[in-house]
Amino acid sequence: MQNAKDSFYLALRARLVAINPSRTILLRGTVRPGILVEEAEAPFSQLPNDVFVLRWLGMSVDMNLGSTMAAAECEILYQSCGTQSFGGLDRGRALSAMDAEVLGMTTPFCTPKLNYTATPPAAMLTQVFWDEPGFTPIVVQRDRLSRSAKIVVYSYQERGE
Amino acid sequence: MSDTAPRNPTGAPQMLADALLRTVTGAAALLRMTNTNADTNSSEVGLVATTFVEVPVSPVLMRQLRPSWREGGQSKWELLISATSVEQQVSALDLASAQSLFSMTLAVTVAGQDYLIESVGSNEAFGQIYLYRLLLREARQQAV
Repeated sequence: MQNAKDSFYLALRARLVAINPSRTILLRGTVRPGILVEEAEAPFSQLPNDVFVLRWLGMSVDMNLGSTMAAAECEILYQSCGTQSFGGLDRGRALSAMDAEVLGMTTPFCTPKLNYTATPPAAMLTQVFWDEPGFTPIVVQRDRLSRSAKIVVYSYQERGE
Repeated sequence: MSDTAPRNPTGAPQMLADALLRTVTGAAALLRMTNTNADTNSSEVGLVATTFVEVPVSPVLMRQLRPSWREGGQSKWELLISATSVEQQVSALDLASAQSLFSMTLAVTVAGQDYLIESVGSNEAFGQIYLYRLLLREARQQAV
């Protein structure tokens, strides 16, 4: 499933760059697209604003098929306090913009599966696919609005995985 | 509490804070930061072992906060750091501010034990920061 998780993240990252190249984050001394995998970064005492954080949750396996299919649940967390120039009054619009970007990033609902442990990444035989994002209600914490979208990501286990 | 009175800046509070910290413990702490990694794909999915830099700051004082036991809870600590030392490292690393330095820090090592930063505070006098206060919690042991 790790190859599927890596492929899913890197597909979303490439799509985010196309949708909104100005959404970036300075992390570990590098300016990167504003999306990250929580489990591959240093622990956060508080999640960063205006970026997408991927958190991997549950996992299940269906072995009653020709090939074993694994499904992992991914939660995309994001939050915003709006912009300084608007005094934070645009935080609702900022979160709506992020909602639209989540929809844009997750469409189409598939991407080729690649093995990123090889250099250059090696294309595998199957695809990673997922269903529509399920958005949770907005959580208001004083001046911060946050929301998450849950997506189940599927992939067939290939030989050697 | 901040003193933002418009008076000429003076280094006296910083020198006093440094002297007190040095007298009480004189200990040093290491701020562990990551090096910039060009291979973004691999480093962003946790595939590449990132290289680290350890930035020393001293003098520092470590104290345990009032213990409030909770199942699975960890002790919290406060690290008092000399602002002079922080300013030197901010300047050496060509960073914009002390906040940038602390936000780039993965862990703080004091006497061989790793701690994670929970929050950052500071004390000011005459409009100048003379002490940084980091709220820390112990990092769990990682696999070798």
